[in-house]
Amino acid sequence: MSTFHLQIVTPDGIFFDGQAQRIRLRGTEGDFCIMKNHTDFVTALSTGVTRIILEDGTVKEAACNGGMVSVTKDITRVIAVTFEWAESIDLQRAQAAKEQAEQNLKDATNIKEQKLAEAKLKRAMTRIHLAQD
Amino acid sequence: MAGASMKDIKIRIKSVESTMQITKAMELVASSKLRHAKERVEKARPYFTTLHAALTDIAYSNTEFASPFIAKREVKKVCYVVIAGDRGLAGGYNSNIFKAVETAAGSAAYSVLPIGKKSVEYFERRKKDLVTKHYANVEDVNIGDCFEMGKILADGFLKGDFDELYLVYTNFVSMLSQVPATVKMLPVNYDEEYAKQSGPKNLIQYEPSSEAVFDNIVPQYIAGMIYGGLSESWASELGARRTAMDAASKNAGEMISDLSLKYNRARQASITQELTEIVSGAEAL
Repeated sequence: MSTFHLQIVTPDGIFFDGQAQRIRLRGTEGDFCIMKNHTDFVTALSTGVTRIILEDGTVKEAACNGGMVSVTKDITRVIAVTFEWAESIDLQRAQAAKEQAEQNLKDATNIKEQKLAEAKLKRAMTRIHLAQD
Repeated sequence: MAGASMKDIKIRIKSVESTMQITKAMELVASSKLRHAKERVEKARPYFTTLHAALTDIAYSNTEFASPFIAKREVKKVCYVVIAGDRGLAGGYNSNIFKAVETAAGSAAYSVLPIGKKSVEYFERRKKDLVTKHYANVEDVNIGDCFEMGKILADGFLKGDFDELYLVYTNFVSMLSQVPATVKMLPVNYDEEYAKQSGPKNLIQYEPSSEAVFDNIVPQYIAGMIYGGLSESWASELGARRTAMDAASKNAGEMISDLSLKYNRARQASITQELTEIVSGAEAL
């Protein structure tokens, strides 16, 4: 199968730089998938599971949060806020984060706090979901 | 009395020696942390450059681009994000950054988002408007905190709390040279003339729209800039501390050799005096 150049960068460094067959991401408008010869495309990302099919057909999953993706003819760049491969997720930490977020959600006194807690809860749930698979 | 001054000198040497131990230890700690800090700077750089490139691309993608983040407003109030250290003993590191803020701000009113204990203390003492005092520990500020700041600042800008946003940090040029720098973050630099001239360059599909994507990533862009500045500043602080401590250790070494010379002289003088006393005593018999 034909492949394209995929790069995943976050503030913690470059997570992936190489050829991929396919990548599925969650954008603010819903899930979408990018393959070779995709039209030039830019969109913002939300929190969700990212699924990448590498050159040799292996499937890799990761928790991806925020940022944007930019597709050009030569390169597809995922510029994420946080990015964690499924195998490197610390389940205990994710569960602790989930509990903390739930507590925060209960204690929230204004909409801003509530939104922050909700976003945190969503991130934690994504990570737990991935780690348990 | 020669004996008492000998004792004084000895106490002094001991005290300088213990100070030198501290300065040496601090120098070592700073050196080892500096390596990690420099790695962090290198790691964060690709993210930031790509984000910046993407943002510029979007802004110049069509001629009719409009976003509240690029609109220039009459500047009534400015906000500065000031990154300084948590501790002193780093040469001019902290005071240089505050001087840079004072020069940039002039006499106009401004608010501050201080990062680092020294920064919080400095602006609190001067009774400036502080956005938050939450980030008083520069070593513990992580990327998540930066995104929070990005959100707070972008919201503040949209609400009209301030009309321009600057980042004041220290650029890590080399081990020996760290220079304070001021960068404008909001409104995002946008040249209308250039946009008109260049025209629509390529047909990129934006979802849902170029404006929506742009507004969505601006807070992240601010966060990325703060994080970049933070990494640079942290490396600079350690570099400055290392240099300062190196100089202090050298000075202490000089002082010790100076004092040892004095001590030996005093010792010799007291021995000579004792000898003459014995000799003259024997003669008197």
